[in-house]
Parts: sequence; structure tokens; C-alpha cells
Amino acid sequence: MKDMRIAERTVDSQTSKMIARGVQVHYGTTHALKDVDVDILDKTVTAFIGPSGCGKSTFLRCLNRMNDTVASARVTGRIELDGEDIYDRRVDPVQLRARVGMVFQKPNPFPKSIYDNVAYGPRIHGLARGKAELDEIVEKSLRKAAIWNEVKDRLNAPGTGLSGGQQQRLCIARAIATSPEVLLMDEPCSALDPIATAQVEELIDELRGQFSVVIVTHSMQQAARVSQRTAFFHLGNLVEYGETGQIFTNPTDPRTESYITGRIG
Amino acid sequence: MSPGLLILIILCTGIAGLVLGRRRALLRSESSGQRLHSLPMAYGQSVFLFATVPALLLVAVWLLLQPVFLEGRAAGMIPTSDIPAGSGIALLLDEARRIANGLPATAATLPSVIAAAQALNEGYESARLSLSIAALALALGGAIWAFLRIKPEARARNLVEQFILAMLMGASLIAILTTFAIVASLIFETVHFFQVYEARDFFLSLTWSPRFGGGSQLGLWPLLWGTLYISFIALLFAVPVGLMAAIYLSEYAGPRMRAVAKPLIEILAGIPTIVYGLFALITVGPLLRDYLAQPMGLGDSSSSVLTAGLVMGIMLIPFVSSLSDDIINAVPQSLRDGSYGLGATRSETIRQVVLPAALPGVVGAVLLAASRAIGETMIVVMGAGAAAKLDLNPFEAMTTITVKIVSQLTGDTEFASPETLVAFALGLTLFIFTLGLNILALVIVRKYREQYE
Repeated sequence: MKDMRIAERTVDSQTSKMIARGVQVHYGTTHALKDVDVDILDKTVTAFIGPSGCGKSTFLRCLNRMNDTVASARVTGRIELDGEDIYDRRVDPVQLRARVGMVFQKPNPFPKSIYDNVAYGPRIHGLARGKAELDEIVEKSLRKAAIWNEVKDRLNAPGTGLSGGQQQRLCIARAIATSPEVLLMDEPCSALDPIATAQVEELIDELRGQFSVVIVTHSMQQAARVSQRTAFFHLGNLVEYGETGQIFTNPTDPRTESYITGRIG
Repeated sequence: MSPGLLILIILCTGIAGLVLGRRRALLRSESSGQRLHSLPMAYGQSVFLFATVPALLLVAVWLLLQPVFLEGRAAGMIPTSDIPAGSGIALLLDEARRIANGLPATAATLPSVIAAAQALNEGYESARLSLSIAALALALGGAIWAFLRIKPEARARNLVEQFILAMLMGASLIAILTTFAIVASLIFETVHFFQVYEARDFFLSLTWSPRFGGGSQLGLWPLLWGTLYISFIALLFAVPVGLMAAIYLSEYAGPRMRAVAKPLIEILAGIPTIVYGLFALITVGPLLRDYLAQPMGLGDSSSSVLTAGLVMGIMLIPFVSSLSDDIINAVPQSLRDGSYGLGATRSETIRQVVLPAALPGVVGAVLLAASRAIGETMIVVMGAGAAAKLDLNPFEAMTTITVKIVSQLTGDTEFASPETLVAFALGLTLFIFTLGLNILALVIVRKYREQYE
């Protein structure tokens, strides 16, 4: 673990963007997530780590109610976004997902042109008035996702024709285009090669200036590199949550220490 | 020896070869101390294949060629003076064949025909005997040859592999050759037709009125128009309904609903078209006439283009919905998740992400349905009538190419007359049409594939 550089811990903000209290998730008869309390800070990268099947992706999918699309999932507890309960009946999950965007494990560009992929969100939410404004949003999002220079000459080419790393950055651009307040990333680099991974990680660090990023990762080096705060999940429990530096150098729970040093997981 | 018994004996020879060949391979490997190249069974299989395949092929070819050869010889025995004026030798040959098969000759039977029948009979007898001898010799010879070749180092496994490859290629060749044979038979008769009827009239005339006494006008257009019009209405009805049903089933319906609804829709595909025809004739036709055509003053015929089109559309719904359902289900869930994750609603996701991704397959499904519609006969006869007309009014009776093919071929006119031969020209037109449609489907599918994968 000597290559594990710990990023600068300049947490810009101490205000909580999202607050989760007593969150439980059942898939049918399986109890996937047990009583999780987490505060996601504004303008911060929060990493969820833990062995496979520990519930970190499940919890991530609770934050924008993606679990609603799974018929057998049942979520209880309270999750707030800016003090508002997102599981309240008055909240439209569709509107919520525009504020809490998501990037998936496997790059999933739509069968459309690069331009239309990025313009998808702004179009369905009516964020742009006219073509010029939409062009501007697309360009800005692609620039922020650090892919503009590679695709600016072929915006009408299909998004599926890009390489894996480019596709994933396109998906990030697509998520940024709806100007979310929180960006959820579910193992965004697991299908990418090391170079593309480095690009995406650099990007995540830049995105932190504008909104909170929550990233699920299997790579502890990655968590150490990009995040300011880290949560460790194990068997559906949130074991430990705190400053990344503290989790990696001085964990309080023995399970965290075993996982980080490679004894469990 | 009857062919069935012959085939059975050949197969038995093969199985005996299989068992003996396997044993011989084991024995030789033991006696020489050499390891077998292949499994013992492979040696047995190679003997089986050499014993059966050439002999069975011989039987098949022989049985196919035998009648051609023998009847040619019998035909040579009937002098041309015996052939009644105005008819061909085929009638006399038919009679000879019947007599050879054991029907008693009548007083009117010509002596030359009886002689031909005798020759046929003898020919069949001797041919059967020589076939039996040849086939059995080939089977035994093949078995013994393969048996003697068994050595531990022989590559029996590879040999069996090559045999299987040849058999698979043969099977696909049969399918391809059959297509060619069908097209060839169509082309042959179509050429005949154009020898007795002006091609220009067929392709350019706007009237279809066959007459027994000659002087028929056999224009293609009224039939082609009827075919396209009815198919168009059928697709206009079936594609939106089928596609929406597929979307509901694959995207919205719960597993329980799906388990009930999908088989119910597929029952539609199992209804014989004649039953659809009855439905068109006694229900849809009168309904459309009484509630739409007559009040609007558009006609008072219960058989109409709209009747046939609607009922055909109902028939096509399961095609479109079942195929589209499979295709929509094959769109990866990750695309849907991506769209939901951006805050899209279900219908936005379906319209903008799922359907574009499924488009090539859906186009394929629609064109398949179109081919069915163009080839449909029974519903048209009972729903749209048999009057060949060029008209825009959907409440008029019209007819299609397939219906006319049936009525021209089952009529009482002579086979060599243009009125009958036109059926083949029509059939070829239809074939070329559906072929074009299939090629179009391929092109479209390929174009979108390139873009989306």
C-alpha cells in the first residue's frame, strides 16, 4: 500500500447535502442494507468501499431512488436532500434523479449521436431554450468531462463507436449536462484501462468544485486518491465513516483495518 | 426387395460394422501395443458411415431417376399415330402407368399402351432387383473396406468429423437447391406464358378480364394494386397495435400479467386463416358495410379491401408483437438504467432509448409481417372478394395476386392456355416482390446495426 497517496484533505464545505438515517433495504427476503446513517457533504467526494455484496451499491441506488425500478426492493428509513425527505410521497422520483445524477459501472451510451447523448437530459427536462443554448450546454458538459477535444469534430457520430474510456466520459458528460447537485458513480472505472481510469479520476477531482460526488469503488487506492471522506460497508452494515485519511491510516474498527490491509474481502 | 426393407438391411449392415469395427480397433491396439488415435467408438462410426451413406445415396438417386428413365422408354413404344389429336402423350402414359400398377385394361385400351404397360412393369421388376443387388454390394463393400482400414494410428475421429461436415453442408445445399428449383420452375412456365401472351400487355395493361374463348386481358396492375392496398391496410392496423402491445408486455406488464397475456395473444397466431376468413365474411364485412360504407354512401358491398385488411391486420398482430417483444427485451437493462438515472420517465425512456435500440429488429418484424400479408390468400377471398379492380375506395371489393393464382390454376381452361399460364407469371412477380422486401429489410437492419453497435 506504499503507492497509496492520500489526496489533500481540503474539505471545502462542512454543510450536509444529503442525510441518511436508519436506511434499511430488503430485496424480497434478503436484508441487503441494515440501519445505515450517512451524511454526504456538499462539494466533497465521498467514497463507499467494501467487499462485493456488502450493500454499498444498494445504498448508492437509494440516494436517487433507482431501487424503485427494482420490483422486489423495499426501502425504509429517511434520506434527505437539502432537508427534504426524498422518499416523501410528494417527491417525484423523476425530478429527483435530475438533481441526483448517476454514472454506471459499464459505460452505457444510448444508441444516438454523441451530441444527442449529452443533449438527452437537457431536452427531457427542458433546460435549454433554443438550439444555441443546447449547443452551449453540450459543449460545456463535454469540456467538463474532458472529452471535448476528442469528439468536437464528430458530434454526430454514434456514441457507441467511442472507446470504452471515451464512452464512460461521455456518460459522465451526459450526467453533468442536467446540472445535478449530487453525482453518484457506481464503480465508474471498473471497465476501463489504467489510462482511462486516471483521466476519470482527475475529472472526479475537478467535478468536486461544483457538486458532491459519491463514488462506489472496489479499488482502495482509488478511494484514497479521489475521495475526502470514506465509508466502509461490510455485510450490509456501515462499519465506519469518516475522513479518508483517518479511515486509511488509523481506522477505529478492526474490520476496517482487516479489509484495508487485505485480510477480509 | 422393397426400398423400405432395403434401407433397413443397409442400416443393419452399418450397425454390425459399428460394433465389429469398434472391437477390431480395440483388438488391434491390444495386439500391437499401440495407443489408439481416436476413441474406439470413432472407428466403429467410420465403418458405419462408409457402409450406409454411399448405399443410401445410391438408393435415393436411383429411386429419383428410375421413373424418368423407364417412362421415357415406355413412351418410345407408343407410336405417334396412336396419340389422339389435340392431346399429348401424357394421357396415354398415365393409362399405361395405371395398368402397370394393377388396374384392369378396358376394351378401349390401345394395344401399344398395353405393351408399354408391360414394359413398365418388367422394367420396375428388374430395376428393383438390380437396385437391391447394387445397394447391398455397395453397403457391404464400404463396410469391409472401412473395416480393413482400421489401424490404431488411423485418424478415425477426423474422418468422422469430415463426414459430419459433409452431411451438414448437404443439408444446407438441399434448402438452397430447392429454392433454385422453385424459381426455375416458375421461370420456365413464365417464359411459356410470355410466348403465348404479350409481355407488354401483362405489365402495362390496367384491365384484368380472363375469358375462356381467348382474347383475355391479363393486366398485372389491378391485382398488384389490390395486393398492396390490402397489405398496406393490414400493416397500418397491425404495426401500431402489435408494437404497442409489445411495449406494454415488455416494459409495463408485471410477470403475472405477462404470463397470461402473452400466450393469449399468441393464440391469435394459431388460428387457421380460413377461420379468419369466416370472421371477415360473416362479422367484419357486414359490420363495416352497415355502419360505415352505407351511411357514408361509399358502397354496399360486404366484401371490401378494408374488411380483408382489418382481419389480416388482426392476424398479423401476434407476429409483430411477439417478435418485437423479444427484441425489446433484448435491449440491455443498462440503457434503461442510464435513462432513468438522468431523470427520464418510462415513456421517454421507451421512445428515445429503447425503441431506437430495438429498431433494426422491429423493422425486421414489420417486413416479415408484410411478407405474410402479401402472401395471404384465404382472408382475401372471403373478405375482399374476387373482383379485380383498380380503385381507391377502401369499401370496394378487390382482389390480390394470390387469389387470382388459385382461381386461374383451378379453372377448367387448358393448361397451355395463357389464362392458366398467367398464374406462373403472377407467382414470379409475387416472389420477386417478397424477395425485394426481404433484401430491403436486410439493408435497413444492416444500416442501423452499423450505427448502434
